[in-house]
Amino acid sequence: MTREEELHKVLSEAVVDMDEEQAAVMAQAVVDEGFDAYAAIEKGLSQGMEEVGRLYEEEEYFIPELLLCSDAMYAGIEILKPHIKRRQDSEHHTVVIGVVEGDTHDIGKNLVKIMLESAGFEVIDLGRDIPAREFLRQAEESKADIIALATLMTTAMPAMREVVEELEKEGRREAYKVIIGGGPISSAFAKKIGADVYAVNAAEAARLARELVS
Amino acid sequence: MNDISPRERLLRVLDGKTVDRAPVICPGGMMNSATVDVIEGCGFTFPEVHPDAAAMTKLSAAVEEKTGFENFGIPYCMTVEAEVLGSEIDFGNATCEPKIAKERYASTADVVVRDIKELLQEGRIEAIARAGQNMAEKNPDVPVIGSLTGPVSTAASIVDPMTFLKELRKDKANAHRVLDYVTDFLIGYAEVLIESGFPVITIADPTATGEILGPKMFGDYAVPYLNRLVDAIHERDARVIVHICGKLDAVKKHIPALHGDAVSTDAMVNLQALKAECGVTVMGNVSTFALQLQTPDVVQRVTENIVSKGIDIIAPACGLSTTTPVENIAAMTGTVKNHY
Repeated sequence: MTREEELHKVLSEAVVDMDEEQAAVMAQAVVDEGFDAYAAIEKGLSQGMEEVGRLYEEEEYFIPELLLCSDAMYAGIEILKPHIKRRQDSEHHTVVIGVVEGDTHDIGKNLVKIMLESAGFEVIDLGRDIPAREFLRQAEESKADIIALATLMTTAMPAMREVVEELEKEGRREAYKVIIGGGPISSAFAKKIGADVYAVNAAEAARLARELVS
Repeated sequence: MNDISPRERLLRVLDGKTVDRAPVICPGGMMNSATVDVIEGCGFTFPEVHPDAAAMTKLSAAVEEKTGFENFGIPYCMTVEAEVLGSEIDFGNATCEPKIAKERYASTADVVVRDIKELLQEGRIEAIARAGQNMAEKNPDVPVIGSLTGPVSTAASIVDPMTFLKELRKDKANAHRVLDYVTDFLIGYAEVLIESGFPVITIADPTATGEILGPKMFGDYAVPYLNRLVDAIHERDARVIVHICGKLDAVKKHIPALHGDAVSTDAMVNLQALKAECGVTVMGNVSTFALQLQTPDVVQRVTENIVSKGIDIIAPACGLSTTTPVENIAAMTGTVKNHY
């Protein structure tokens, strides 16, 4: 294992171990020793977050662990980001994400955001309790590829349908992929309201988003 | 038992005694039953009802009459506790229920413990107690249910919830300190309600779910504080229903350890199996999605299915949408009453 590979491994483990301090120290080591910052994010921190996603799917980790892992990831990213050489990335994709109107539960949405970012997406986070029109407006403005909708509440599910209807009404349904998720949501519901896909959790949301733009 | 009152029926079920049929109720709080249809014609609207004892009394009578639910249930939101403990509340509007606009504290370490007796004088506590007292006096046959927000959810509504969840791991001492404090407050609040004539308290703790906390933290944080609250309510001779949100799989092993008199769950949980496996009295779980969007005949079928499985108390599975048609709610309650 080369020194660089070793650093990637330690970064990945720091994320999985929820060790914010270690992630920051090792990210600084990457910078100090002159290794590529982007590779450290991709093969170190994101790799760790992928493992975290797997642990979450397997119900080894739950929300508090996921939040702490993402803090460790961000501690590393913050140090590495200024050192990324601007890449001419043709694979640049944008997701507009938010919790639909009538719902203020945003933990799930925040997790999806983290997973999407660690999967290389630019994520525009509208926040929670967001009206249907706002999703379209923001997607148009930021030339997004994907609109991601979340809710934890059965009572806010009709608001998801409204977003799809808004896209149809404005003749923009084909311009975006719509991905939905949250506690009460199912793939049957996604089909019913004309969304493109349903993601059962944050890790799958990121995986499906990649598929949707590839 | 032909002329058993709704109050007696509910109390008998919660005490594990036999009854003629299952009660059909909606406890208020997270399961607010004052929908747009129900409030129409009352002469007032949300959000002005929330702090007004006279309006609450009138509205709860309208709920009982129009929906057929066999109880009064107040308050109509989950923000009473957070308001008293200093968070900023957005009281919503005619169709949207109150919510936390901003939590009072950034982290558990910042939480200042205040005198419980003082806190109990503040916010809407007195109005809710008075409303319940009025309801109990006017109609002693109908049980008045007081709905509390559970300890973990109350803590997560005064401390930034993302930080709070992290501190359950990172700053256990302060997490426990805050949970201790909010539990003391909730006990005080419950006592005020019980003294005012509420025979049943429901505790809903939507942040304390298996899906969010996982089994370990549910056991470390949700169970002990819920039980401390339940025990204090029992000491005052009131009954307790505990509502657990979401899927139960991850925390099923903890369910028998809960001290409540009944467990209420969301629609995806098989209550019949839960009852058999854990030996608990179960309440639920008519899909609120069906109640909001389906027709009365579908609601009737959904309800019949639940009744036929021997569920002890029939209730909505989760929070009712404020736009739920009253015909659907009436179909649910009518089905229960006519089934036997």
